[in-house]
Amino acid sequence: MPGRFSLTARLTAFYTLVSALVLVGMGLLVSLATGRHFVELDRDYLHDKIELVQKIVRESPSQAELSSRLDELLGSHHGLYIDLRQSDRLVYGQEAPRFPADLPTAGSGADPMDWDDGGQMLRGLSARFEVPMLPGATSQTALQLRIALDTAHHAHFLQALRHTLALYLLGAILVSGLLGWWAARRGLAPLRVMKERAMTVTAQKLDQRMPVDAVPAEFADLAQSLNTMLERLQADFARLQEFSSDLAHELRTPINNLLTQTQVSLAQKRDASAYQDILASNAEEFQRLARMVSDMLFLAKTEHGIELPNPEAIALEQETRALFDFYDAVADEKRIRLSLAGEAVIMGDRLMVRRAIGNLLSNALRHSPDDADVKVAIEKKGAAVALCLTNTGNTISADVLPRLFDRFFRVDKSRSHPDSDGAGLGLSITQAIMAAHGGSVTASSSYGVTTFCLMFPGSVAD
Amino acid sequence: MKILIVEDEPKAGDYLRQGLREAGFAVELVTNGVDGLHHGLEGDHDLVILDVMLPGMDGWQVLKNLRSQGRQMPVLFLTARDQIEDRVKGLELGADDYLVKPFSFAELLARVRTILRRGRSGLEATTLQVADLELDLLRRRVSRSGKRIDLTAKEFGLLELLMRRKGEVLPRSLIASQVWDMNFDSDTNVIEVAMRRLRAKVDDPFEPRLIQTVRGMGYVLEAPEGTR
Repeated sequence: MPGRFSLTARLTAFYTLVSALVLVGMGLLVSLATGRHFVELDRDYLHDKIELVQKIVRESPSQAELSSRLDELLGSHHGLYIDLRQSDRLVYGQEAPRFPADLPTAGSGADPMDWDDGGQMLRGLSARFEVPMLPGATSQTALQLRIALDTAHHAHFLQALRHTLALYLLGAILVSGLLGWWAARRGLAPLRVMKERAMTVTAQKLDQRMPVDAVPAEFADLAQSLNTMLERLQADFARLQEFSSDLAHELRTPINNLLTQTQVSLAQKRDASAYQDILASNAEEFQRLARMVSDMLFLAKTEHGIELPNPEAIALEQETRALFDFYDAVADEKRIRLSLAGEAVIMGDRLMVRRAIGNLLSNALRHSPDDADVKVAIEKKGAAVALCLTNTGNTISADVLPRLFDRFFRVDKSRSHPDSDGAGLGLSITQAIMAAHGGSVTASSSYGVTTFCLMFPGSVAD
Repeated sequence: MKILIVEDEPKAGDYLRQGLREAGFAVELVTNGVDGLHHGLEGDHDLVILDVMLPGMDGWQVLKNLRSQGRQMPVLFLTARDQIEDRVKGLELGADDYLVKPFSFAELLARVRTILRRGRSGLEATTLQVADLELDLLRRRVSRSGKRIDLTAKEFGLLELLMRRKGEVLPRSLIASQVWDMNFDSDTNVIEVAMRRLRAKVDDPFEPRLIQTVRGMGYVLEAPEGTR
C-alpha cells in the first residue's frame, strides 16, 4: 500500500538519499581531479624527458657515447623507458616494454596514452625530430623517439585514495542518515503531542483542545482547524444532548397524561359516553404525538442534507395566495388583513416551500393581535429572492431571536399552550427546509413589528 | 367490497380488520408476504392493503408478483419509513396510494373509500342532497329548506366534499388536502375555524344539525337517525 510509510521514515530516507548523492558526487570529483592531475604531471615530465633525450642525441659524438649517456639517464629515472629508432633500425632501446605504434605526438596537446604491457601500467608519448648528423651516419637523419613512464605508483595512490573515499562516504552516509532520522523525529514531536491529545478526546471530554501555541508554525494552522472542528462538534453534541432531553420531556408529558387519564378511567365503572369521551381525548393526544414524531423524522431527514425530492419552478406569489386562502378563515376570525406584494419564481420543492411559508404565516396569525396586518413581500435581490413576512405584536427580544429556530423552543416558557399551538417545531422545520434549498431564514423584531425572511439563493429567469 | 390486509404486526392487523369490518367491508387478514401473494392471486379482492416490511416476502415483491400475474386490483401501501424513494418505488410498481405509519384510522378509511370509489364511473350527479340541504354543482348554489345560503368558494368546496362523502368521517388532514391542496400536517385549527364558519351558515339557523364533529377522528355530514 503506497503512502503508508511514516513521515519519519520518509524524511530520513529523503535526507539520506540527498546526502549520499552529494557525498558520492564529491568523492567522484576528487578522484577524477586527482587522476587528471597525475596525467598532467606525467605529460610535463615526459615532455621534459623528450627534450633531454633530444639534447643528448644532438650532443653525443658517437653511438657508444649516446648509449652510455642514455643509460645514465634511465639509471637516474626509475620507471622511465626509451625507444629511439631511425626508420626501423633501433638506435637505442630495451627488451621490454613493447611500445604501441600509435603513441600520441608530444606538443600536439594530446594527453599521453595509457597502456598495459603484460601487467605493467605505462603512459607514453612519441616525438619525431631530426639531427644534423648521427654518429656513424652520413647525412641528416629523422629519428623517432617513444618514451614511457611506469604509472604503477600513481595507480596505487589513486586506488588507496578511492578506497579511503569510499569508506569515508559510507560512514558519512550512515551518520547523516542517523542525523536525519533524529532530526525528523525531533521535528515531528509536536505531531505526537497532538496525537496524544487527540486520543483523549471522547464524547464526554469534548473540551480537549490542541496546543496551538506549543506547536511550530506549520502545525499551528492544523491545530487551529482541529480546534475549530472540536468546537463545532462540541456545540453540535451539546445541542443534540439538549434536544434528546427536550424530546424526552416533550414525549413524557403527553404520555404521562394519557396514562393517568386512562388509569383513572379504568379505576371505576362508567357509562359508555364517558368512555367515548376518554377515548376521543386519547385519540387527540395520540394524533399530536404522531404529528410530533413525523415532524421529528422530517427534521432528521432534512438536516442530513437531502436532495430536493421534486425540484420545480415555483411562483412564490401563487403559493402565498394559496396559503392565504387556507388561512383566510383564521385571519378573518381575528379581523387580520393579509396582503401580498411582489412576485418571483424559484426552484424548489413545492410541498416543502409551502410548508415553510405556511409555518411562518401560521405563527404570525397566532401571535398577531386582532385587527392587525400581516404582510408578505417578495423581492428579488440580485439572483436571490427574499420572501419577508411582517406582523405586528409583541416585540421579540434580541437575545431570544436566534433561539426561535431551536427545536421545541417557545417564547412562552410555560408548557400550558393551547392545543392549536404546535410542538415548537414549526420554525425549525422552516429553517431545515430553507437549508435544504441552499437558502436561509432570518428573524428580526423591533417596536412591535416582527419580520421573518426566507432567502432563496437563486431565481429562475422570468 | 372485499379487502385483503397483509400486515405482520398482530395488534395493528386485528384493529385494522375490526375497523374496516365495522365500516362495512368484508376483510381478510394474513400476516406474511407469501400468504398475502397467494390470497391476492386466488381471491377476488377489491383492494389490498399491504405493509412494506413483511416476513418472507416484502410488500414490493408481493405487489410486483400480483401485477406481473395480471392482478390489477388497487393496492394501498403502509410504510413505516417516510422515504421519498419508497413512495416513488411503490408508485412505479403500480401501488395506488400509500400511508406512512403512524396514520390515523380515519385517514386510512377515507383513503380506502377514495380508492374504491375511483373504479366506479357512475353518472356524475349535478346536485347533491342530504336531508333538506341541497347543493347545485352546476350553478354552484346551496340552499336549505328552500332558503338560499351564500358560501365562499372554499366553503362551497368544503361542503361539497362533506356531502359527496356523506356518512363518512373525514379527518382534518384529508379535508386540508382535498379542499385547499395543503398536503402537509398543517394547523388543525384552520380546519376547525373553517368548519365553524360553514356551520354558522349551514347548520346554525336550521334544525337538525347535519355536520357532526367526531372527536379524535374528524367531521362527518349526515342526517341524524330517524329524520331521513
